[in-house]
Amino acid sequence: MIALETLHQKLGLAEPGAESRGVFWLNPGDKSLREVTQAMNEIGARFITITAYQLPGDEGFRLEYHWDLDGCLLGLPFQITGKSIDSIFDICEAADWIEREIHEEYAIDFAGRQYEPLLLRATDTIGVNLREEVKK
Amino acid sequence: MSYKIPMGPYHPGLEEPYKLNMICEGETVQDAELNIGFNFRGMEHLAETRNYYQVIALMERVCGICSFIHTLTLCQTMEKLTGLEAPPRAKYIRVVMAELERLHSHVLWAGVAAKLMGFKTMFMSCFALREKVMDVLQAISGNRVNYSMNRIGGVNRDIDDPTSLLPLIDELESAMNKTIIPIFTTSSTALSRCAGVGILAHDKAVSCGVVGPMARASGINQDLRRDAPYAAYAEMEFNVPVEPAGDVKARLLVRALEILESCKILRQALTKMPSGEISVGGDKFPFETGTAACRVEAPRGEVIYSVSWKAGSRNPARVHVRTPTFVNMPAVRWMVQGARLADTPLIQASIDPCYSCTDR
Repeated sequence: MIALETLHQKLGLAEPGAESRGVFWLNPGDKSLREVTQAMNEIGARFITITAYQLPGDEGFRLEYHWDLDGCLLGLPFQITGKSIDSIFDICEAADWIEREIHEEYAIDFAGRQYEPLLLRATDTIGVNLREEVKK
Repeated sequence: MSYKIPMGPYHPGLEEPYKLNMICEGETVQDAELNIGFNFRGMEHLAETRNYYQVIALMERVCGICSFIHTLTLCQTMEKLTGLEAPPRAKYIRVVMAELERLHSHVLWAGVAAKLMGFKTMFMSCFALREKVMDVLQAISGNRVNYSMNRIGGVNRDIDDPTSLLPLIDELESAMNKTIIPIFTTSSTALSRCAGVGILAHDKAVSCGVVGPMARASGINQDLRRDAPYAAYAEMEFNVPVEPAGDVKARLLVRALEILESCKILRQALTKMPSGEISVGGDKFPFETGTAACRVEAPRGEVIYSVSWKAGSRNPARVHVRTPTFVNMPAVRWMVQGARLADTPLIQASIDPCYSCTDR
């Protein structure tokens, strides 16, 4: 079992994490999403889900990646200013459907993967439902 | 020559819409493609338009079987954002309701599995047992499906005489021990349909990130009730059944053994239930700005809610729900590869899929 106090060192992160409202948050710093995912695979963390938030104005999106480590819920936030972020599907099979769902709900591109067929609905429109400008 | 057989969106064994296109060589399935979203309801978007009372009623309708679990997870998440903690008696009532719901779900699934095996007598026996559990859920909450039990800071209804439920637990445990488990584990009808069928190997289960009984039937020893206890689970003693085989029989066995463990938990919760109030916090809730997340072990596995709120608002800014079927379903592709076409309805049913949850 890895102690949470030293978890950031195992993951190669600069800062230690901190618990807030049920989640042990870690700051990825200058580590890329794919580097963090590889490190999570190496320590045996289980991928849970990604939660997407649209930020106000042109600030883009905040994607919160969640893993489980021995019953502890880990969270890593990644902010994207454009519409694209690297896919982790090829190194984390469990991320397949949630990447597809976020692509369809927010029109965010997970670079390096295919999406077809659409997961949630039978039209060609993406970004419906949860993306602000489409909701309006 | 290979050919494609579409199964669904009207499923032969489950009354829920999804489609599995199977690529076959003769009677053997080579590969499969999955399509969901036929009844997608956009509930995460709807949740942003509901206040903190309405959103509980809305998310109770994510699932018709584990409706209590969804409100439990949501309320526990909202409690983190309001700084409230449910009183001890409410935590025990939450455990009782959650375990009754697990019993109801697992016994229902055993009945459906028996029906798909062509074992109609067992189907009737399982559904007769399920009715008894439903009667108790109705006696406690007044409802059979959407129980309206959870609120921010506790529960809405008390259990007046908890020990009066103990005879039902004895009856259920006896029926499982004397009839259902021996028949499922020894009858040639059950074994010929389940043993060695629909295997999800341990490594593949880890890679797919499957949860709940499906993970435990592939040798993954995980259960949030033990690993990250919530409500009053930290005060309960129980075992987590794990089977290594990864086939339909293992999934059946894990759920059957979990019924016995649920009986054990219920007996403890009903006899040790502390007295006191069942909710705190009044009618208005001061939400803090920020994000909170909570996980609960539903009958089908881990449910997670991520909720974001802005202080002063009555509505959530964002509610994200990740249901167990959403992560378990993609593994069906690997489970049907190499299987006989006739076994595929049972293999799909063996994950206990819920498309109401998935098409939330």
